[in-house]
Amino acid sequence: MLFFRSEELVDAWCRARDIARRPLVTMDQLWQLAVTWYATRLSPEARRPGPDEMRRIFARIGLDDPFWDPRADTF
Amino acid sequence: MDFDTDIRLAVYRHFASTGQAPLVAHVAAECACNDDDVRAGYARLRANRVLLLEPDGTTIRMAPPFSGVPTPHTVELGRRTYFANCAWDALGIPAALHQEAVVHSRCGQSGAPLRLAVGRSGPEASQWLFHCQVPAARWWADLVFT
Repeated sequence: MLFFRSEELVDAWCRARDIARRPLVTMDQLWQLAVTWYATRLSPEARRPGPDEMRRIFARIGLDDPFWDPRADTF
Repeated sequence: MDFDTDIRLAVYRHFASTGQAPLVAHVAAECACNDDDVRAGYARLRANRVLLLEPDGTTIRMAPPFSGVPTPHTVELGRRTYFANCAWDALGIPAALHQEAVVHSRCGQSGAPLRLAVGRSGPEASQWLFHCQVPAARWWADLVFT
C-alpha cells in the first residue's frame, strides 16, 4: 500500500513489475477509510468491520470494484 | 471489559503515548496479570486480526495503524514521531489519535518526498494517490507484504 505522486507513476510502477494496475484511491477517499478503520481503535468498543460491512464502506466512497470485496475470488 | 480488551487497550495506549510497541512486562503490569497471560492474549488478538506478531509470539510487529518497526511512512504529531505500516495507516494514525499531524512518505515509483498535513477533518488538498496491489480478500494472507 503505497503513495504515488501521479497516475502515470502508478502505471510505471506496475509496468516495471509486470502487474496489473489496481483501482486508484484519492487522498480524500483514503482519509475516509482511515477514519472508518481507526477512529475508535483506542476505545473499548473498537472492532474491525466484517466482510459485508467492508464492502459497503468501500462502495459508499466510490470503491465498488470487486478488488475491494473481501470475499471476492476473482483476483 | 474483557481481558483481551484490556490487553488491546494497554498495547494501543502505549503506542499512542510513546510511538513504540510495549514490552510484554509493561502490558502485564498494566493489566495486573503475568507475562504468560499477555502472550496468550496476544495470540487471541492475532487470531482476531487485531495484532500482527513476530515469530516469537511476544514482539508486536503491527498494531494497525501503528508499526512496531521503522518504516518509510512516518507521522509527526506534536513532538512525537510514529511509524505507520503503510500509506493507509499513515492517515490512520491521525485518525486514531484525533489530532492534527504531518505525514511523511515517498512516491512508490519516483521516490519524491510526500509531506501531507492532516487536520482533524482530513488531509489538505492533494493530487497524490494511493495504490494497493493486493486485493482485499488477501490482505491478511501476508500483511507485511500488503
